[in-house]
Amino acid sequence: MHLRPSALTRPGRLLSVIGLGLVVLGSPIPGLAQAQQSGPAGSDAAEAADAHLAATADENFNDPFENTNRKIFDFNQDVDRIILVPVAKGYRAVLPAPVRDSLHDFLRNLDEPIIFANDVLQARPDLASKTFARFMINTTIGIGGLFDVATHLKVPFHDNDLGITFAVWGIRSGPYIILPILGPSTVRDAIGQGADNFGDPGNIIASNYNVLWATFARAGVDGIDTRSRNIESLADIERTSLDYYATIRSLYRQRRAAEIRHEPTSVPNLSPVGGGGTASPPPPISYTVAPGHPPAEAPYK
Amino acid sequence: MMRRRFTAAAVVLAAALAVGAPRGMAAPDPAAFISTLGSQAIQVLGPSVPPQQRLARFRQLFHDDFDVPNIGRFVLGRYWRIASPQEQQEFLRLFQEYIVQAYSARLGEYGGEPFKVTGTRDSDGETVVTSEIIRQDGNPVMVDWYLIDRGGSLKITDVYVGGISMKVTERDEFAAVIQRNGGQVEALLEQLRRKVGAAGD
Repeated sequence: MHLRPSALTRPGRLLSVIGLGLVVLGSPIPGLAQAQQSGPAGSDAAEAADAHLAATADENFNDPFENTNRKIFDFNQDVDRIILVPVAKGYRAVLPAPVRDSLHDFLRNLDEPIIFANDVLQARPDLASKTFARFMINTTIGIGGLFDVATHLKVPFHDNDLGITFAVWGIRSGPYIILPILGPSTVRDAIGQGADNFGDPGNIIASNYNVLWATFARAGVDGIDTRSRNIESLADIERTSLDYYATIRSLYRQRRAAEIRHEPTSVPNLSPVGGGGTASPPPPISYTVAPGHPPAEAPYK
Repeated sequence: MMRRRFTAAAVVLAAALAVGAPRGMAAPDPAAFISTLGSQAIQVLGPSVPPQQRLARFRQLFHDDFDVPNIGRFVLGRYWRIASPQEQQEFLRLFQEYIVQAYSARLGEYGGEPFKVTGTRDSDGETVVTSEIIRQDGNPVMVDWYLIDRGGSLKITDVYVGGISMKVTERDEFAAVIQRNGGQVEALLEQLRRKVGAAGD
């Protein structure tokens, strides 16, 4: 049933920038290489297949680095408790909801170009045209993206990213990993996230004009915005779980599987990788695991 | 003339049997069933309902309308077979209470929001009723209900909220708990007892 893991892990693109830095620094790289070699044998490509496998075979968690992952997970929870949640609460207390909503819409509008690129890479003209329309409408009528007019015009947001594109191309997820600060991911999704940030037009422009701080500010606010929308839902999941780590791992996998199928979902962002939103096409009929697409909109009060 | 009339009557009769037989004996219309149940559940989750009452109502709903024994078996996965009959019985009892407590909290955010059934489809002998909850920000949350006909009454076998299966989520979690405790089902039972007991049983 639902769940709302969104916040935990999506501290946002800022974090993704940091994540990219880590990748560049080489820390994850040894793990990556190893991970790819040791991928489970099998022919399935996309996450849908992964999810099906996971759903039918018991305990296929695809988590060979679990011990390390759990340590990083604990560290992330400390950071979350000590820094992120207090900041997110302050943010919610200080700014009125309409202002936060506009900021949210603005940040999301900045993501549309990279979403559009991924829609195209996945050969989905249906999605690409919606993203294009949204960006044009919201950037103009919506005053630079401050208002999500497109959703009111029945062109709702859908997310997309390079991790999904890779999956659509048949690349397997590789092992589940927990990134410092960024949270749940997989080898494939982490690489996709780094590349998305690298290729983001906004970030490129910022770097060309030597205003790198803008990229960090965007990521930081994005992370706070996301976290502020998931405080209660994640707390509920943590409080009611027997094993929070295992629950998040399951939610992440199911959520990603749904995103890859471009089903509308409502699961909060568990990961920094996914944004939130709703996609459109009708869900395929598959029983075992038919996750929908997680919109990231968490409840916010 | 006579003969034609007879034929017509036979056709009508046959049609009545064909349509009527399943309807008569069988469970109510799945869409109507979920429409009623979903609306009630969301109402119960609303902010105006005191927590104790919400829990009691949820408990009753889960007990009456969910296919608890089969969900329990699925959720315990391969450990169901290695569990003793006593462990199985205790698991079913604890697991039910655990689901009730966990999900009444986790779904609380949807309380009081508009709910509507959007369609039905078949899936492996089960009927899937699709529905959506409209969030305040205008984004719908898709909720899919998997139903099976058990002796004339409909039972829910799984619920997907926003693409996340309750059954799969719990199976993954329980398997992790058992795995990390040397494959002992008793370890899971112990954790469930503690969790469930904390809120009073």
